[in-house]
Amino acid sequence: MNARTITVNCVSAAGATMAAFLLSTGAYAQTHRTERHFAVEGKPVVTVQNPSGHILVKAWDKHEVMVVGRFAASSVEVDTEQVGNRIEVATHVGDPHASGGDTKTDYEITVPTETELQVRTDSGNVTIDSVHGDVSFDSVTADLALQDVEGYLAIKTIGGSTICTRCAGRMDANSISGNFQLIQPVMDNVRVQTSSGNILFDGSFLSRGIYVLKNYSGTIEVRFSSNDSFDVNASSLFGNVVNQAPVVPDRHQMRAPKYPPNGMAQSLFGSMNEGHAKVELSSFSGTIKILKRD
Amino acid sequence: MQCVQFDKTVENEPDGPLPADAILHLETCPDCRLLRSDLDVIRAASREWGAEELVPPPAIWVALRAQLESEGLIHGPQVPTHVQLGDSVGGKSWLTALLGGSGTSAPRLSLAGAGCLLLVASALLGLQLRMYSGNVSSNASSGGVLARVLPAADSASASPLLGLDLHQTLEGDMERVMASLPGQNASLAMSLEENLGIVDHLIAACEKSMREQPDNPAVRQYLYGAYQQKAVLLATAIDRTTLEDR
Repeated sequence: MNARTITVNCVSAAGATMAAFLLSTGAYAQTHRTERHFAVEGKPVVTVQNPSGHILVKAWDKHEVMVVGRFAASSVEVDTEQVGNRIEVATHVGDPHASGGDTKTDYEITVPTETELQVRTDSGNVTIDSVHGDVSFDSVTADLALQDVEGYLAIKTIGGSTICTRCAGRMDANSISGNFQLIQPVMDNVRVQTSSGNILFDGSFLSRGIYVLKNYSGTIEVRFSSNDSFDVNASSLFGNVVNQAPVVPDRHQMRAPKYPPNGMAQSLFGSMNEGHAKVELSSFSGTIKILKRD
Repeated sequence: MQCVQFDKTVENEPDGPLPADAILHLETCPDCRLLRSDLDVIRAASREWGAEELVPPPAIWVALRAQLESEGLIHGPQVPTHVQLGDSVGGKSWLTALLGGSGTSAPRLSLAGAGCLLLVASALLGLQLRMYSGNVSSNASSGGVLARVLPAADSASASPLLGLDLHQTLEGDMERVMASLPGQNASLAMSLEENLGIVDHLIAACEKSMREQPDNPAVRQYLYGAYQQKAVLLATAIDRTTLEDR
């Protein structure tokens, strides 16, 4: 039978004050702290809904989810709920007129490695470390830092930026003005779009991998090594394409994209080595850089 | 004439009469005859598409109107007639119209109502753009399509695109959504407005390019993508207004 727990916490003033001194960053005059533990089996699903604040999610070997929340405002409530292997964490604000700063809540959540995460936030920043389940991230301005994660990464931000370090699996990301940095990725399917942000892909293109990077303005930069093998199709309609790759005409007899004769597009189409991966880089007016890694 | 020259002739004058040497070449070259035949088929199909008017069933608008009236988002005797997506050139008009209401004490936007409108508008826009993505001709038909999707920026008149005048049907602007954001979150509202400006700027740039290069499918795709980004932004804004209700 599933245990269902709904918790609303306001920790005592003495304990909270002590916790504030010991654990907080000092940003709060008086910090409330709540800590909950949930026993889980297999691959749990953890959803976090927090309008503002810092969220740190890290993995451990225990079959348990631990949630530690810290907040300053007395009108803030941290709700947690467990239904089987599904854990929900949500910040609720009692005062509808509270400003964004008043609702700030920080979380430190520790989960089993294979946990699937769904994080929804408006502002602040989110760090996810060494979790190997799928990740869904939905934010307005919050920045996202992913380290050593593995799985399917679905990222949607409006202005928040994403730094993904040593990520594995697949990524589907969209933003309006956020930047994306993929450092040492081990991913075979990457689709990233940002309207005005920059995109950096600094890693190997896996065999049979597909990499689609698109923006409207800003810079798209990919870095390759001499051993990389990929077909590349790079085009900036009203911008520039800077290429250092020794690309030869496409080895697979694919037809090059055709642009009207009055177009101003700069484009590059061809293969490097055997062309095992497929790389599509497109920009409306931004600069595309295909640079050799140092 | 060689095949390469024939290709250039067709490319430069896709709808014009073929010069005599091109006609002579056609008689001796089966590949180019096939190409010419394909182009004729595409041209004929594009004319048929251009003749179609995308008008959703009246029941959709009736249901939408009833939903919006029940939520107090619209009022008055006006009957929906046209959509003015084209007025979005360089501005927020279709979005702001979609969001509705100018009163500061108006009820919170319903995700269902506004989302439904968003879905209908974006889907039909996407359909419209996709339908014509295969139109390779640069004749008046193509120009007409462009004019319907993207009327000139200085045109204040309605554009009979989708059969609904959001300007006349809905009142209001983005402020209403912003006012509904949880806790009057100023930084959240500021970010959404800032990004709305970015997307509007991109749409304006794409529309300008579209007018300059009406037959460039890449520009059309970028414009379509920019509208999709705007739809994502609107969905996010509406979503945040209802965050506390969940």
